[in-house]
Amino acid sequence: MFWLSGGFVFRRVVSPFHKLDPRVKLLLSLELFFLALVSSTVAEEGALIAVVLVVATVARSLRRIGRTVLFSSLFAAFIFAINLVFGLGLQSAILYSVRFLAIIGSTSVFFVTASPDELEQIMKWMRLPRDVVFAFVTAVRFIPVVMLDAFQIMDAQKSRGLEFEKGNIFARIRNMVPILIPLVVNSVIRSGELAEAMESRAYGSTPRPTSLYGMRTRWYDVVVAAASLVVFVTVTLYIYHLAPL
Amino acid sequence: MTALSGVSLTIGERETVAIVGENGAGKTTLVRHINGLLKPTKGSVLVDGVDTRKTTTATLARKVGIAFQNPDHQLFSDSVENEVKFAMTNLGFAPEVVAQRVDWALKFFGLEDYRSSSPLVLSGGEKKRLTLACILAWDPEVVVLDEPTVGQDALQKEKLAQIFRLLQSTGKTIVIVSHDVEFLWPIQPRLVVMSGGRVVAEGQISSVMQDRGLLDRARVIQPQLLRLHSELRDRPPAPFLDVSEARAWVEGRDSRQERR
Repeated sequence: MFWLSGGFVFRRVVSPFHKLDPRVKLLLSLELFFLALVSSTVAEEGALIAVVLVVATVARSLRRIGRTVLFSSLFAAFIFAINLVFGLGLQSAILYSVRFLAIIGSTSVFFVTASPDELEQIMKWMRLPRDVVFAFVTAVRFIPVVMLDAFQIMDAQKSRGLEFEKGNIFARIRNMVPILIPLVVNSVIRSGELAEAMESRAYGSTPRPTSLYGMRTRWYDVVVAAASLVVFVTVTLYIYHLAPL
Repeated sequence: MTALSGVSLTIGERETVAIVGENGAGKTTLVRHINGLLKPTKGSVLVDGVDTRKTTTATLARKVGIAFQNPDHQLFSDSVENEVKFAMTNLGFAPEVVAQRVDWALKFFGLEDYRSSSPLVLSGGEKKRLTLACILAWDPEVVVLDEPTVGQDALQKEKLAQIFRLLQSTGKTIVIVSHDVEFLWPIQPRLVVMSGGRVVAEGQISSVMQDRGLLDRARVIQPQLLRLHSELRDRPPAPFLDVSEARAWVEGRDSRQERR
């Protein structure tokens, strides 16, 4: 499970990509995401995945992002099968499944390299309501905790003789109930406790709280953002006007 | 990262073993090898002669019951009764045996009144007892308990100690992971002291607990009774008149001088 979700969990490493202004990281991720949506051939989507993997290498997170993309192939295969079943044709089926992988890779690049603090700064910079920002960032911050919970619950149920891989697809889904119920209950309890702890520590007492950290745009942020915008506009123009339809 | 290294440990049949050590010493990691939740990357773990790498956790569960530290990580059923039944149905027990064992477990752990209640509404201590009931209901040969006293009040701890003594008398092999040396002392288990993923000492609790240097290194505190005993033993004899004078003597004060 971690191999699949690991690509959406922040990893603290020292890399040139991690040092970028979080807004630039978001810009790059959005550009890749948009290009994944508008690309119309399998070759373009494949090239995009290659770019994602290059960015992941620069961010020293190739293994993590690569594994997530690789394991997402299971879902991509499902998308492929569904498209085939509904008669969209082989080429479209391949295109949609590869596009799915490109979308996963492009979003993964942002979540692996942007810390929850940076995510919070971006959302504040977008002037989103404070409660929304807090709820979203807390949810992201708790992903590793919930994952750890899930592993421990799985261990506890396996110790009681539960075999997840036993039986047909329906039995396997039913086998997930002993994991999901404790996981959801624990998460609800934790959220209640967190809310009480936050209120006890004066959350919401002032409408404009100060921030310990701020975002700083340096010269290399401007260079990377400008270069990526040039490439993005060029590629978009190529796809819409120059590429054979 | 290596969690355990150079660990060589034999736990005999019907033996009670307690594993102690600082946080992160590898205690929980070690006991997770006993039912095959974790498989060793080097070396082997044998349970009743069976290599845990060559079998599944579900198979080993028949012999080894583990009660985890946090009861919220396993309780999910709509009733206490079904929670206790869960493992036995997984292990393929006959319905009449399941009913019999559930009755016994609920009665034994004082949970009969909660039979049809949701396990999620029980108090912390009751949940802990329920997890133990869930394990003991299927009568495993080896019982592993990870921090059984966490969140238990003094009365519950006393009850747990009674349960352990009963389990010892029924011939179970018991492995306890605990920081609570006060709880372990009356049970008198064989003690395994861990530090940094290694077993640094093992032996009867009464002898291991005498080694202050070892305990300091492993960040384990002696039981109060033993500390008091060492304190009194290491001081020259003194004539006591009353309790306050004895206390003053232990604390290094001279109460008679103070009185003057």
